[in-house]
Amino acid sequence: MQVFLQTLIGGVTFGAVYALVAMGFSIVYRTMGLVNFAHGSVVMIGAYAASTFYMATHVPFAIAIVVAIAVTGLIGLVIERFLRPLENKDFTLMLIGTIGFGAVLEAGAVLVWGATGHAVPSPVATEPLDLAGVRIPTYNLVVISVAALATGLLALFLQRTKRGAAMQAVAMDHQAATAVGIHVGRSNAMAFAIGAGLAALAGSLIGPMLYVNPTMGGTLGIKGFAAAMLGGFGSMPGAIVGGVAFGLLDAFAAGNFQEYSELVTFLVFAVVVMIRPTGIFGEATVNRA
Amino acid sequence: MKRLAFLVPVGVAAWLLPYGLGGYSMHVVAVAIIFAILAVGLGLTMGVAGQINLAQVAFFGVGAYTVAILCTRAGFGFWSAAVLALLVSVVFGVLVGIPALRMQSHYLGIVTLGLALAFTNWVTNATVAGRAEGISDIPVPVLFGLELSSAYLFYYVELVVFALALAFALFVTHSPLGRRLRAMRDDDLAAGALGAEIPLLRMTAFVLSGVYGGLAGVLYAGLIRFVAPESFNIANMFLLLAMVIIGGRASILGCVVGALALAAVREALLDVSAYAQLGYGIVVVLVVVFAPTGLAGLPHQFRRLLRRHGSGARLRLGPFQPYEQVAHAGDGENVLEVQGVTMRFKGLVALDDVSLTVPPGQIRGVVGPNGSGKTTLFNIVSGFYTPSAGKVRLRGLDVTGARPYRLSLRGVARTFQNLRLFEDLNVRENILLGLDRTRTSWIWRYAGLPWKVFGYQRALDARADEIIARFGLADFADAVPRALPYGIQRRVETARAMAMSPSLLLLDEPAAGLNGEEVRQLAEIVRSIRDSGATVVVIEHNMGLVMSLCDRITVLASGKVIAEGTPAEVAIAPAVVQAYLGDSMAAPTETAVEEATR
Amino acid sequence: MFSRRISIAAVALLALAACAPPGQSAESGAGATGPIKIANVNAQSGQLSSLGQWEHKGVKLAIEEANKAGGINGRQIQLDLFDSQGDPTVGTNVARKISAEGYIAMLGTAESAVTLAMAPILKDAKIPNITSGQSPKLAELKSPFLFLNAPTSVTFDETLAKYLIDDKGYKKIALISNNGAYGSGEHDAFLAALKSRSVTPVADEVVTPDQKDFNSNLAKIREQGPEVLFIGAEEVQSGLIAKQSRELGIKSIFAGGAPMGTDVYADTAGLKNAEGSVVSSPYLSNEASDQIKAFAAKYKAAYNEEARMHVAKAYDGASIMIEALKQTNGEGGQKLADAIRGVKRAGLLGDYTYDANGVGIHATKIGLVKDGKVVPEVAS
Repeated sequence: MQVFLQTLIGGVTFGAVYALVAMGFSIVYRTMGLVNFAHGSVVMIGAYAASTFYMATHVPFAIAIVVAIAVTGLIGLVIERFLRPLENKDFTLMLIGTIGFGAVLEAGAVLVWGATGHAVPSPVATEPLDLAGVRIPTYNLVVISVAALATGLLALFLQRTKRGAAMQAVAMDHQAATAVGIHVGRSNAMAFAIGAGLAALAGSLIGPMLYVNPTMGGTLGIKGFAAAMLGGFGSMPGAIVGGVAFGLLDAFAAGNFQEYSELVTFLVFAVVVMIRPTGIFGEATVNRA
Repeated sequence: MKRLAFLVPVGVAAWLLPYGLGGYSMHVVAVAIIFAILAVGLGLTMGVAGQINLAQVAFFGVGAYTVAILCTRAGFGFWSAAVLALLVSVVFGVLVGIPALRMQSHYLGIVTLGLALAFTNWVTNATVAGRAEGISDIPVPVLFGLELSSAYLFYYVELVVFALALAFALFVTHSPLGRRLRAMRDDDLAAGALGAEIPLLRMTAFVLSGVYGGLAGVLYAGLIRFVAPESFNIANMFLLLAMVIIGGRASILGCVVGALALAAVREALLDVSAYAQLGYGIVVVLVVVFAPTGLAGLPHQFRRLLRRHGSGARLRLGPFQPYEQVAHAGDGENVLEVQGVTMRFKGLVALDDVSLTVPPGQIRGVVGPNGSGKTTLFNIVSGFYTPSAGKVRLRGLDVTGARPYRLSLRGVARTFQNLRLFEDLNVRENILLGLDRTRTSWIWRYAGLPWKVFGYQRALDARADEIIARFGLADFADAVPRALPYGIQRRVETARAMAMSPSLLLLDEPAAGLNGEEVRQLAEIVRSIRDSGATVVVIEHNMGLVMSLCDRITVLASGKVIAEGTPAEVAIAPAVVQAYLGDSMAAPTETAVEEATR
Repeated sequence: MFSRRISIAAVALLALAACAPPGQSAESGAGATGPIKIANVNAQSGQLSSLGQWEHKGVKLAIEEANKAGGINGRQIQLDLFDSQGDPTVGTNVARKISAEGYIAMLGTAESAVTLAMAPILKDAKIPNITSGQSPKLAELKSPFLFLNAPTSVTFDETLAKYLIDDKGYKKIALISNNGAYGSGEHDAFLAALKSRSVTPVADEVVTPDQKDFNSNLAKIREQGPEVLFIGAEEVQSGLIAKQSRELGIKSIFAGGAPMGTDVYADTAGLKNAEGSVVSSPYLSNEASDQIKAFAAKYKAAYNEEARMHVAKAYDGASIMIEALKQTNGEGGQKLADAIRGVKRAGLLGDYTYDANGVGIHATKIGLVKDGKVVPEVAS
């Protein structure tokens, strides 16, 4: 039982991070129909930006996160400008174009920060909580609550603000949104910037849990993508549920299948997606008729 | 075939290459050829058939590992192991292809990527696969008593294999099978309606992927004589993708050029790899944004730029040459019987207990306000939807819920409301697709009896010429549909449907967007089609056309049949007048009624 | 007519190819003049590039010193760096490249899998290779041209097991290792060392090199309450495992090979969590001896960063190569391999005496991590 609960803790924590990554994928996808494979690399840049700033200036970690979100959001705008010709276009081109962008970001990180990477000291130094033998590191709680907070804020933004409503409209019907006077280009840029900001948040949060280096984005990107798909691509609640589900799948596979965990994780994932290609919350755009 | 004549000097040059290269360069070339074979395989699956397959590098690994395991653990000879390895990678291809039956595009991409990761994970763990350190000491392959230990000798083996693989890929792309694969890439629904078995075609694409991956893997095992998990990782998959995209994914030769070019560049930048990665990322982005057809598409892009300045001769749509009249087989059996069909979508009832019977040789009109379920009815008859209740019979045979390709092969042809021509195929190829009536299971001939395929293709070509001439499309045969005026595209779609020699033709708003003269020609064409022995059902809003053309008319409103009869009867039926009141569509006018009853 | 011409041409080509397979242009052997070409092959990109970059710095330092001191009997050494990208396929490419371009010796790589892939080609080309890999498989190859500049995992883990069990008397030992080339080598070697002492581990968890969340594996280990947790993974992952273990309340002593003696491990785990980790390594710290202190100072002056084991062993390997080259007067091939085998050197990692399997060092020392630095453990 303890093993089970402890596995659950780890799964949920990493699941929260996957959920943030998945939300970044989804918000870009639903608004502009772009599958951004560079997202994992943007997470990596976010992690570097936050940790470098945090370690160089010793400001509170929250401020470092804000700085990272700003930097990465800016990078997001640049990428969006470059890839604009691909939006709503041929999927294969989009795939390879964003992968190319990811390669550029990764190589850039090697040139700027070097290949070695660095460890980030944990910003929360208190002892883990102990609940009947199940230990919950305080930083994990921070990660989970920040992720939940970000999700809440994003939901508020999308539902309660004019900008957010405009983005929702663009997501539902591109042409109709244009017709009622919504600036689609601005909405798209905004979605991309928010996506990049979410990536930065995920990256900053995971930095102190892991080790920041130029190749960290690959796995996070793939797992976040898979999480988004599991929940239903383009659906925000789907991204959260999918993220946590994938985190748990990963954690329990590691405990029960040891070195074969990756094999099991992806086989299970493939089977689940086979059974329900549109994910838990569904997406109408698969196999568009 | 003449266009490929330049391959002859290239082949000779390749044969003589070893005389001009040092030992190391030879090895680099040998590795590049392996990547070229992989790229051809990926080009076939992704570029031609449109299946996002990110597991190509795993097929490569399956081939190489199978050879390694069989040679070192089970004492097989290299060549017998090679044959088994090919089989294993094909099986693997089929397994990885299964998800493609349920999903496409990025979904398929991430699932295949996941399966590739699963493969790498397995070889890293399995003792039989040498775990993380891989398998060394793969024996030197021996051919005709000659040890192929030097890169030179192995190069010739590779060259022969590569030439055969390339020839086969070119043969497949330029054959009816390749055409169907490309049609499936452009629009799988329309391809299905034309008789392409989509599931089988998708599996075919993955089998091809497996064959080429396995082939490359076998050569890799023979050349490097060492396998380890890192060689089949995601980074190499992305390198392979970049090769295919930069070369031009829809062109097999483009893929080869891309693979050779990138292999050379990678070699040249071996010592500055951080910058190399930066450079290759930038090149990929630039290619994707500015030259989406890759290197192979560049000549075409230039030509188009040039042509924009010169003006070609004005092209004309020729007159339609009517079909010969054929007496209808008078067995009196109804061609189409729809019995009590109901279609529900998540609570919405699109069709409610609709029945309809069409005897042979009739032109049946289906009219009704927007949203009355006309196109849904067509989608059921052509097999796109399975009705929630009710039956559909073709000449007495129950075909309820049959797949579109089956109905197509049974003689049901259709056109689409929004035109579904294959945009990347020219007019002739669109029509050839209609003509190709083979089952996909026929494809064993591609491997077994390729000359039969050539013969078949020649026969199809002749018949395509005939149809193109009949529909007056000779001037446009080599144009792609999107470059043509709307009216001509409509005619191409009708010609494509008629290429299928259907016994039942479903026309969905064939007059939409046509001018008066074109509508008149359309009526003439439809009558002639009926006279040639086909039965026609037409959905149309143009009441003048419906009244003059149709023998009988069925009126739908809110998913129900509210009237059926001759044009004259229907035009005055109170329910019809009622249904049309307040609807934006004009009710049948008196002139139309007069015209119809004349 | 046309086709006949083609077939004639084809036959001619076939004949050409069959009876005169083009031979390699004359090997440019070790000429008596000009620089002596040595290749350094290491990953400069990809996951393991930090390792590759350290190794290269160590090699470069040794060669530059030798060149300043007059080279090999007056001839300079030309050192060229090749990037293996951590990929065995690229490694085989590079192996062929250096054999074709007249390099007479090779230093590197730090990844055993890449070295294993290159070994047969280098053996055929008679190019001696001093590698930084430490997989037992390297020694199992018994290639006369392959030498290790460090002990294999067997030595590392034998020393470790001897200390933990024979000296300290621990009996409850748990293992966690990854399934990569390094991790699985460590796992097998340590398990063998335990077996020879009839100790059965209380837990044996295996993870993947990419894994970041070890909660489930560690929770299982925690249930067994081991006295010692052996970690067989690279620097970063070892650090993550140590950190998460402490977070889960595992109180065991951590033990492992060279990666646990690095600052990367200590930083990733957190200094507090790494405290007291037992390290088995031939190179414990930059202060272990006067010789090492001098080297560390030299290194710091050259690159403005702290020396570490990877640097030191690469430096040792290069120094051995230089010594052997002096004996053969710059000649390569079998002669050079024999000379390397004959070198007896008191290096930074210990005393090198090569055995038939190409292993030069047969002992490691035990150290404890104190405040992020390794302090030698004096035998009690």
